[in-house]
Amino acid sequence: MLGINLKKTSEKKGLNIIIVGCGKVGVSLVEQLAKEGHAITIIDKNPTKVQEITNLYDIMGLAGNGASYSVQMEAGIESADLIIAVTNSDELNLLCCTVATQVANCAAIARVRTPDYSQESNYLREKLGLAMIMNPELESAREAARILYLPTALEVNSFAHGQAELIKFKIPDGNILDGLSIYNLDQKLPIKILICAIERNGEVIIPNGNLTLTKGDVISVVAPRWKVKAFMTAIGMKNYRIKNCLIVGGGNFAYYLAKQLIHMNIMVKIIELDRERCEELSILLPEAIIINGDGTDQELLKEEGIVSVDSFVPLTGIDEENILLSLYAKQVSTTKVITKIDRANFKEIVSGMDLGSLIYPKYVASEAIIAYVRAKTNSMNSNEIETLYNMFDSRVEAIEFRINEESNVTGVPLKDLKLKDKLLISFINRNGNIIIPSGQDSIQPGDTVMIVTAHKGFHDIQDILR
Amino acid sequence: MNTSVIRYILGHVLKIEGILMLLPCLTAIIYREQVGFYYLGVALASFALGQLMTFRKPKNFVFYLKEGCVSTALSWILLSFFGALPFTLSGEIPSLTDALFETISGFTTTGASILSSPEAMSHCGLIWRSFTHWIGGMGVLVFLLAIIPMSGGSHINLMRAESPGPSVGKLVPKVKQTATLLYLIYFGLTVIETILLLLFGMPFFDAITTSFGTAGTGGFGIKDNSIVGYAPSLQWIVTIFMILFGVNFNAYYFMLFHNVKKALHMEEVRSYLAIILAAITIIFFDIVRIYDSVFEALTHASFQVASIITTTGFSTADFDLWSQSSKTILVLLMFIGACAGSTGGGIKVSRFVIMFKTVFKEIRSYIHPKSIMKIKMDEKPVEHEVVRSVNVYFITFVIIFAVSLFAISFEGNDLVTSFTAVAATINNIGPGLEMVGPTQNFAFFTDFSKFVLMFDMLAGRLELFPLLILFTPSVWKDAIAEKKKLKKLEKSAS
Repeated sequence: MLGINLKKTSEKKGLNIIIVGCGKVGVSLVEQLAKEGHAITIIDKNPTKVQEITNLYDIMGLAGNGASYSVQMEAGIESADLIIAVTNSDELNLLCCTVATQVANCAAIARVRTPDYSQESNYLREKLGLAMIMNPELESAREAARILYLPTALEVNSFAHGQAELIKFKIPDGNILDGLSIYNLDQKLPIKILICAIERNGEVIIPNGNLTLTKGDVISVVAPRWKVKAFMTAIGMKNYRIKNCLIVGGGNFAYYLAKQLIHMNIMVKIIELDRERCEELSILLPEAIIINGDGTDQELLKEEGIVSVDSFVPLTGIDEENILLSLYAKQVSTTKVITKIDRANFKEIVSGMDLGSLIYPKYVASEAIIAYVRAKTNSMNSNEIETLYNMFDSRVEAIEFRINEESNVTGVPLKDLKLKDKLLISFINRNGNIIIPSGQDSIQPGDTVMIVTAHKGFHDIQDILR
Repeated sequence: MNTSVIRYILGHVLKIEGILMLLPCLTAIIYREQVGFYYLGVALASFALGQLMTFRKPKNFVFYLKEGCVSTALSWILLSFFGALPFTLSGEIPSLTDALFETISGFTTTGASILSSPEAMSHCGLIWRSFTHWIGGMGVLVFLLAIIPMSGGSHINLMRAESPGPSVGKLVPKVKQTATLLYLIYFGLTVIETILLLLFGMPFFDAITTSFGTAGTGGFGIKDNSIVGYAPSLQWIVTIFMILFGVNFNAYYFMLFHNVKKALHMEEVRSYLAIILAAITIIFFDIVRIYDSVFEALTHASFQVASIITTTGFSTADFDLWSQSSKTILVLLMFIGACAGSTGGGIKVSRFVIMFKTVFKEIRSYIHPKSIMKIKMDEKPVEHEVVRSVNVYFITFVIIFAVSLFAISFEGNDLVTSFTAVAATINNIGPGLEMVGPTQNFAFFTDFSKFVLMFDMLAGRLELFPLLILFTPSVWKDAIAEKKKLKKLEKSAS
């Protein structure tokens, strides 16, 4: 009796999730998922690590091999809704998920990083019955490529199956946006866009019509994909095309990024210290120029044209090196810089430095998984979360909801909806048409709607109402 | 140190005590006793004070082990102080020291009393005495965790500071659910015992107070002669439930939700039952000649063994009159105590299991100097950290024991009295031997000795270290320094 009751309440409040591996991604998953009220059990081989993390978060820990049947049983795999394997071994992750899906009826997410597997990830996913195969480096490389496609932006995310884009950029000195109130935006600009969040002096603001933009603001803008470039030109931000890219460090991230860039007809140059790896890369990426040398050597960087190159992406395994390289590049040239940071410690300090665009592969990975978990939590409800992005160091969330049926938010003009504070409806996607909404528009069943909000843990479109 | 979160927790503890004190008030209404007004007064006062303390929410809820320990220790002291007030105010126990002793003895589930005749007390006084056992048995902070939503995960530190045992784990991933589960099992078992006692003919008031006393493994009786006056069938029910409440509650969780097999295979529970069985057998053969029938001897032997090893402290026979060897066994059982994760006190069976295995390992390392052997429990390796903490616990226990023994030796009592008085309080049992035997009480001690014994009771219940941390100057220095710094920062900000 009691058992059934308990299970019911746990279903209502959150999922039973098992996470295998207490690495960087594991910890950031725990941090976020525990906050959202899921019951989490973590498994790691290292008992001290397990101890540490169970002291910090309200979760249960278990020391042992996560791929072993008995350990999984002890962690309660039978009543688990989801298993996430994020150890540093791809094979172990796949094995964990395979065992779990055989034992219990639960969804499984594996992190797989090796390029060998990633090419066949769809095949693996299908054959092994996994819900998702996560490749943080590949996802991060995609994000980096998107930024290089639109170099004036700090960050580019796509929504509504690529129909809409969310771009983040800093308003430069003397731009026409400087001193313009949001209310007057429509009159001044020929293209309809929506500003959904502003970061000013370290604070994030979800704007209303009266707010006046000033130089130095970092703003996030939503626009239909085909209007993005036009918008950037309209506000006078010179939108050049990046023709070449210098990458330091030849890891998996670099490989994935190079592949994407070559596809976009961008010349790629990779500096890598290890000779064997260089040879490997030259086989894998015949179009790229592979240079064997120390990427932290200033002379070498100058020789390879750090001053004149269009874009510079340091991807070494050491954060401090990446940061120094980015600062150096910013100092000697006006190149577009993307900095990769692995560890999230001292985030406040890092975001205060002039490092160009920042990419945290760890967040890229956990965000994708969290979006999946949210969608799963919600699968019983009529409204589903399509995508979820954390913006401005997860202080703001952009959530795309699918509206499946009529409810008290549908059919009502937006101006008549009693919305919460710090919340914005940024676009409505109706059959592939992106509508930047005004007060007269309304949400209809069948739409997908993107909400930008400073509130946390929205699960349902109803949550937008006060 | 995060002092504001400690204040917040203490406030909640006071509020809970205020609410729990309504039980004696209710009793007073039923029995039409004037004394009830004192309880109502104190209940309102402590609720009001608690409300005041929780009025301002702390800015950050982050707290670490040290905050957990400090707030646990302070909660228990505060709880005991407010719990003692009605006794003194109503004049039922005129001296505040005595009232404090009685309340601490209640909350720590010791059951050592300074009352020569509990029957002279009012009903609401009696039910409050027994109810303190029930509250203290599972712990008031665990209760707090079960009912108050707290964000962040660090409140496992609260549970760790209050729950007995060398390593405190959770049953389910969330602290709140774990605490709720523990209290559900606790509550369920108490209700079952009350119903059984009622079915076998115990009056309602007696059944409730006896159940409270058994559940918390406390031992306050409402009769002058404890459980002696009740029928053997009732004594057997109490015996069985004492043993049940001394079992690690994880075992019940496994029985209810997983498999009975796993529960029965828990090494600690097995050792615990084996020790009980062995002790009963030896004492039974030892005392069978004193009593009229075999059954009576068996009843008394098992009742006393169960009562002592679970650190309850009820008695049906004056075991002070038994042979030396039986008395020695009982004194040894005092130190072993119940299982970790139960409501009982003592050093805990699991610690002894680990210590014995360490000794075995040491012996083996003499025979095979290079052999490597990991200590295992329930077929799982025990971390070195746990073994070390068990050893340190034992040493600290011995030191505190020795110092307390020395402190109360100035009374000039015989060694057996002093020794068993300290043993009975630090292990949360209640009665000792000779002058503190089952038919005697602790009233004759001087105030100083009473305070020493009160400290022992609290130290024993909170497993030494949370209480010792209170006496560590650096903790307080830190807290004061931090406060000053914060004030400075606020000033400079404004």
